[in-house]
Amino acid sequence: MSDFLDRFGRGQSMCHRWPPFAKLFAAIAMILAATCVPITHGPLVGIVACVIFFAHTLARIPLAYVGRRLLFFWPTLFLMAISLPLSQAGQKGWLLFVTILVRGTLSFSTALWLVNVMPFDQLLATLRRLRVPDVLLAILSLMYRFLFVLWDELDRMRTARSARLFRKPSLWETWRSAAHLVGRLLIRALDRADRIHGAMLARGWDGRSRWIDQSREDRP
Amino acid sequence: MHIQDGVLSPVVCAATGAISLGAVSYSVHRLKQSVGDRTIPLTGMMAALVFAGQMVNFPIGAPVSGHLLGGVLAATVVGPWAGCVAMTLVLFVQWALFSDGGLFALGANVLHMAVIGAWGGHAVRMFVQRFFGDCRKGIVIGSVVAAWATVMAAAALFCLEFRLSWPPSEIDFSKVFTLMVSFHSLIGLGEALITGVAISFVLNQRPELIWRMGTLARPDEETGRSAHPPIATITRTLVAGLVIALAIAAFLSPFASSFDDGLEAVLGKLGIENFNLTGSVPGLLEDYDKVPVPVAAWQSIAVSFAGIGGTLAVFALAWLLGKALPAAPPQLSEAAGE
Repeated sequence: MSDFLDRFGRGQSMCHRWPPFAKLFAAIAMILAATCVPITHGPLVGIVACVIFFAHTLARIPLAYVGRRLLFFWPTLFLMAISLPLSQAGQKGWLLFVTILVRGTLSFSTALWLVNVMPFDQLLATLRRLRVPDVLLAILSLMYRFLFVLWDELDRMRTARSARLFRKPSLWETWRSAAHLVGRLLIRALDRADRIHGAMLARGWDGRSRWIDQSREDRP
Repeated sequence: MHIQDGVLSPVVCAATGAISLGAVSYSVHRLKQSVGDRTIPLTGMMAALVFAGQMVNFPIGAPVSGHLLGGVLAATVVGPWAGCVAMTLVLFVQWALFSDGGLFALGANVLHMAVIGAWGGHAVRMFVQRFFGDCRKGIVIGSVVAAWATVMAAAALFCLEFRLSWPPSEIDFSKVFTLMVSFHSLIGLGEALITGVAISFVLNQRPELIWRMGTLARPDEETGRSAHPPIATITRTLVAGLVIALAIAAFLSPFASSFDDGLEAVLGKLGIENFNLTGSVPGLLEDYDKVPVPVAAWQSIAVSFAGIGGTLAVFALAWLLGKALPAAPPQLSEAAGE
């Protein structure tokens, strides 16, 4: 799962070698452009789209991968956008529909680019230099660490559930078992948090987070 | 549920971003005051849990399925401040990893799901809980009502933001809002059901996990370090009132187009009638203002159904879940106060 999300984050292209700040601000600028350019100015939108496409090629992110991610993304965006003209009985709102589709697609591809040129730890380090509070970053890094652990846990619980189901459950049963799944996951997660806390205490945790200074480490 | 970039205008994004930044900063501030050494791993795990919990699908119809949002669940287990921070981080990671929800719309998403979800959810739950002597039942009923109210409040807020984002010549807002309200009353029902069943499940299996929220609020016995002071009742009542008012406003929002002139007048007075920075072309679609007749009738039916049916369903649900709990509560009722 994690591999699917930022598969090319560790690549070695030109974009990957940019300083982290440049990558972050380039992405923000691109999203700003994508959301602010009036949709009726076709050429401008085209230029923004070309820049984003060019950035993807520079970062050597395969088109097939981008396409697959977009395929997962479009249905939800489409549903949201189509509800506008549908609610007007198809007579109004088509301009809004197109606007939302185009802007959503462009900003999604930009975010996808950022994920794939900037590994999460680099993003954390950049945020830290931007003076995001340490508490937030400590929680964020812990969350990122255990996100995938919990996903695997959830996967195992789902497997166990389907192994014990011999017939198609009714809608209510599905709901109840899904809610129990969440509750059980909650219990396990909190127990795990306790164990992690114990392990952290054993390693001298005193409630303050310390960070390795990456720039100093890189120096010879 | 997540708002993508491009749905709201940049000005609205900036405004919601500023509000969310303030609210989250305050949450972090309160969290820092309470930082025992347990807070960070607990909050991080809670954020990861909400994230994973959103992966559990709840089938609605054949192709459609819903999922948990988790604001009220997080606030019930770790408290409003940590809950708000956890939800914010979930939304941030969803943007950073999944590109789910936009970067500039992050402020609006945080406002809807983290601030309203955790702060508002906590306030509403505490408000409802006071009416039940039996705290265990109160927690479940309170969280069910809170889950429903927060989703509806978020819907109302979205309607307002959407209305401020686009010029009225573009689209007939009352119909969009009817759709939004009908849709969200379904989402809210799902959220209420999942939150309620999950919390009563945990209360049955490991009640101390939910009560522990009290230990986050009370001073630590070992270190004696003071945890954050309890929230004043009046603040809580105010926030709860605000969320409930917003939830009620959701049902009025489909009729908001009749208030358009009023809204415009207010905006004009404030000198911000040119709030639209979206660069759209007014007048292109202006001719199409004749709509088929049944829509108007359907609208009022849909809204009444969403309002009355949804509210009844939530209260029936809360009552059923409350009944399903074992009768004897543990002697911990004091801890649930804060």
